[in-house]
Amino acid sequence: MAARCLISIPNRPDFPRRCPGGNAVTDTTTILADTRARITAAPDVEALRAIEREVVGKDGIVASLLKSIPGLPPEERKGAGQSANQLKQAVLAAIEEREASLGSAALDAERRADGFDGTLPPPRVERGTLHPVTQVTRELEDLFTSMGYMVLDGPEVELDDYNFEKLNIPADHPARDTQDTFYCSSPGSRASLLLRTHTSPVQVRAMERLEPPFRAIVPGKVFRQETTDASHEHTFHQMEGLVIDRNVSVGHLIGAMKTLLRGIFKKEIEVRLRPGYFPFVEPGFELDARCPFCTDGCSVCKRTTWIELLPCGLVHPNVLKAGGLDPEEWGGFAFGLGLSRLVMLRYGIDDVRHLLGGDLRFLDQF
Amino acid sequence: MFISMKWLARHVDLTGITPEQLADDLTLSTCEVEGIERFAPHMSDVVVGHVLEREQHPDADKLGICRVDVGGDEPLQIVCGAPNVAGGQRVAVATIGTVLPGDFKIKKSKIRGVESRGMICSVRELDLGDEHDGIWVLPEVSEGPLTVGQPVAAALGMEDWVIEVDNKSLTHRPDLWGHRGIARELAAIYERELLPLDLELPKLGDGEPVQVRVEDPACSRYLGLAIDGASNGASPDWLRQLLLAVGQRPIDLLVDLSNFVMLDLGQPNHAFDRDQLAADGIVVRKARSGERMTTLDGEERELVESDLLITSGGAPVALAGVMGGEGSKVGDDTGRLLLECATFDATTVRRTSARLAHRTDSSARFEKTLDATLPAAAAAHFARLLQGLQPEVSFPCALADAGDWADPARSIHLRGDVVRRDLGVELDDAAIASILSRLGLTPTEASGGFDVAIPSARALKDLTMERDLVEEVGRIHRYGSVPEAPLVGAIEPPPFDRRRQMVRAVEDRLAGAARFHQVLSYSFTPDDLLERTGCASGDFVRADNPVAPDMARIRREVLPSLLGLVESARRERDVVRLFELGKGYRPEEAGEDGMPREVHQLAMVLALPPAASDASFDAGAFFQLRAAVDDVISAAGVTPPAWAAAETAHPAAHPVKQVAGSWSAELEGCGFVASIEPGVARALGLEGELASDVAVAVLDLGALLAALPSPPTYRPLPKFPMVKVDVACVAPSEMPAADLGAMIEKAGKGAVRDLQLFDVFRGEALGEGKKSLAYHVVLQSDTKTLTDKDAQKFLGRLERSLEQQGAALRR
Ligand SMILES: [Zn+2]
Repeated sequence: MAARCLISIPNRPDFPRRCPGGNAVTDTTTILADTRARITAAPDVEALRAIEREVVGKDGIVASLLKSIPGLPPEERKGAGQSANQLKQAVLAAIEEREASLGSAALDAERRADGFDGTLPPPRVERGTLHPVTQVTRELEDLFTSMGYMVLDGPEVELDDYNFEKLNIPADHPARDTQDTFYCSSPGSRASLLLRTHTSPVQVRAMERLEPPFRAIVPGKVFRQETTDASHEHTFHQMEGLVIDRNVSVGHLIGAMKTLLRGIFKKEIEVRLRPGYFPFVEPGFELDARCPFCTDGCSVCKRTTWIELLPCGLVHPNVLKAGGLDPEEWGGFAFGLGLSRLVMLRYGIDDVRHLLGGDLRFLDQF
Repeated sequence: MFISMKWLARHVDLTGITPEQLADDLTLSTCEVEGIERFAPHMSDVVVGHVLEREQHPDADKLGICRVDVGGDEPLQIVCGAPNVAGGQRVAVATIGTVLPGDFKIKKSKIRGVESRGMICSVRELDLGDEHDGIWVLPEVSEGPLTVGQPVAAALGMEDWVIEVDNKSLTHRPDLWGHRGIARELAAIYERELLPLDLELPKLGDGEPVQVRVEDPACSRYLGLAIDGASNGASPDWLRQLLLAVGQRPIDLLVDLSNFVMLDLGQPNHAFDRDQLAADGIVVRKARSGERMTTLDGEERELVESDLLITSGGAPVALAGVMGGEGSKVGDDTGRLLLECATFDATTVRRTSARLAHRTDSSARFEKTLDATLPAAAAAHFARLLQGLQPEVSFPCALADAGDWADPARSIHLRGDVVRRDLGVELDDAAIASILSRLGLTPTEASGGFDVAIPSARALKDLTMERDLVEEVGRIHRYGSVPEAPLVGAIEPPPFDRRRQMVRAVEDRLAGAARFHQVLSYSFTPDDLLERTGCASGDFVRADNPVAPDMARIRREVLPSLLGLVESARRERDVVRLFELGKGYRPEEAGEDGMPREVHQLAMVLALPPAASDASFDAGAFFQLRAAVDDVISAAGVTPPAWAAAETAHPAAHPVKQVAGSWSAELEGCGFVASIEPGVARALGLEGELASDVAVAVLDLGALLAALPSPPTYRPLPKFPMVKVDVACVAPSEMPAADLGAMIEKAGKGAVRDLQLFDVFRGEALGEGKKSLAYHVVLQSDTKTLTDKDAQKFLGRLERSLEQQGAALRR
């Protein structure tokens, strides 16, 4: 029998050692049945590949069968070749079928997704934030630059001259009292220095530097010597606006302020001007806006339905002169927006001290 | 300031005008009204009672049992302890259920066994004065006894409204610091007549006038009116009520009249007891150093040389414009007085009252700068009022009138066209003239407009130029009737502003991809924080009047502000990323104008929990922050600088773990990145549980602006494949990685497309003082396909140059 054993079988314990008896056709039938059983039982694609190598690989069963053909009697050769090929085709087909079924089972398992809970909290997204004052400042800058205003910057440590004298507030002027100024000393300097009490000093600095007509805004930090509480800070942010042109009237000022408020509150806002005293404008106004938060009084407007929003006025002729402009030829208007206040209104912030306090729990909210 | 409507009605007819309307109209035309309130509202709750009889309480000597008719079916029985209650009186009765000031509700009660159904009120119980030694016996009125049962307020004509005006809105209007000034505004607004007021002095005797000598220009006018035969005592009710309405406590007639004149005309004045003054009269002079005086509030005050004094017999008798002296104040028995009406310099008065932290009604008015014609009016007003009440008073001598003063009344030319141009309204000349006249300004037609006569009271600082008159017309015409007009003219986009663009780019990158929180902080840095961060040296701009003594220094740099936040932020979370764009001030680099140099800085702080011992070489805060800094510089449109250890590190920076950036020898350095100085970290409380790996960075925005911009450009995609080579360089420990990187770049002859350090190794195998740095190198050419041979040539070149520098290639 041994001499009839034509094919070499890999020396593997799980492969039944057998020497196919009878003719080659019978032999391949047994091998096929055997192999099919193993394919059906194969647990994964890897096992299938192993079976594939054993049977149809370079040195596999089919190759051995084909190699043995020349030694067969001529009348058997054709049949042996055919059955070897049939074996190969049948095994490959069985493997393919089994592989497809294994694949879909894996997909099914993936689709079952046992134990998944979509309501588990996701990881926290860490993010950075822009300070709310920056955000509101940018919004206003964009609004104003779209209307041809420049954005200017000015020093926080300012000369008395620009903060007061050139703004028509001489040394003995009672308005100086209401400004609660931080006066400063700088080693080696004899200049009269202070922390600017408003962004208005940039009015004269702008007139000195720019050719009229021009339009400008100046966002920035300002300082007042006062006791702090939830609604008072010694440091806060303002935005100055200045328009210098010929024949500028109170009517233009009202028009510009209404445009500004539409930009801020995104709706038409009724305004009223009433006299307000600021030495660097004449006439000077307080601009009240109809409370955007209520119709019949609320805590923001202190039940009056008006909120005092911004001081403004026509630039005082003395200020024009201080800036080197001829008040007979040039005029203009100026306004001051309380940025800190606007930020508080916008977000409903109840304590102004949060703005510069640097508390992460505050900053993280914007 | 409080304004009484009833008081106003002495000057202008307000019939038909509600307090609300008046408040609105004042607000829209003149000054800001902060609120309106009914005067003494509880006076409408107590009623007039008629004491029918008083009998002694059987069980208490001091109590009486009164039967009081309050207009009901039968009289009320009220137990009352006041000594002055008697049958026949008209009194103020609080019946059961009435609530008196202090939330005191009247209830039915039993007093020593006797039932009491109400209370007979004293002046103090009604908040009308301090007297409480007896009940308030209601005065007779001219029409006869008061009708029993009606509210006391109505019976006595005490109904009044009090209007509170925001003082700030009166800063420039000394004329509005008296009722007559406000009445003049209302007369203009309502087009009603301002009632005449007799301000002529009564007939004066020809005795020897009081001597007055003014030795200091801070007093421009001193007017002294001598009055004889006055008898001091309680003021009449009308006067008391008006004073009470505006929040003044009535004291006695002479003081009350003095206050009344001030609150009526806005001119402070002071009544001296003439018997207490020295015979040589009054000298007005500055205080001498060390001089002291006791003011009429009983306080002894030390004076300084800038204080202006009224003296008599060499001793101070009043602190000019602020307060009188204790010794010469009028009292119950004062009959001979000297009334002072003077003009004092605003700044002098302000300085004194500010120094003493004692602002008075008087100083508040002088601070507004009063005109020197007003004292004469005030003296006459006082004299007329006193004479009206006490016809027997006399004025023994001529006015003493000293000082150097001028009437500020002036004329201003006003063009109708300018009014129309500035206001943007169509208002004809006649309408303009009408408004001016109503305000007491007298227009006379003159060349294309008017010459407007400005009365003294408004001529000093208030109305000085044409534009001031434009405002007068505008506010009475009302700004609400000005039509809105669009600005016209060419609108061009504003010129490009690179600083602003850079600031935005930096903010966006940091708050966006880099996940930093933006902070805005105070410009004051507390001394303690400066000490802890090692940043206290150097010159500082200082506030002379800081909010707290340790908060005087204006920051030189932004970083300490951020460092002050790290400890509390680390308590909140593991990873803290903060940045601030802000300004610092450097006195040592002052400009010609004496202003300190302003530096514009970006400061960043990154704090992490301490790194694990097996963390990769670039895991710590320092390298993370360096990456963020390079990234943000690129975002600002600038090529990142070369970083190298600086010879002297910033005081808050680790002396070794730090690098400074620069682009070239000519350009100023752009700033630094560093780990925090270990001592600073501890001083900031970053130890123990809060021990942190902290890195800080500071970039100078000015230096970024000065650096060459590198706008983002397109680079064509490579046409030839790349060759990847890994190289490990063994170098002396102290050789900077930057040098190795440069050598690799050079060896690549322009073909090094990317260079990435992936391992840093130190160990015995390398030998003492050596380190190994391993890089992925990507070689690529624009002109040909690089081969293995090219890579070998590159390695050969690199090996040679490394060996020249005492390093080696590890093959
Ligand atoms: Zn509201």
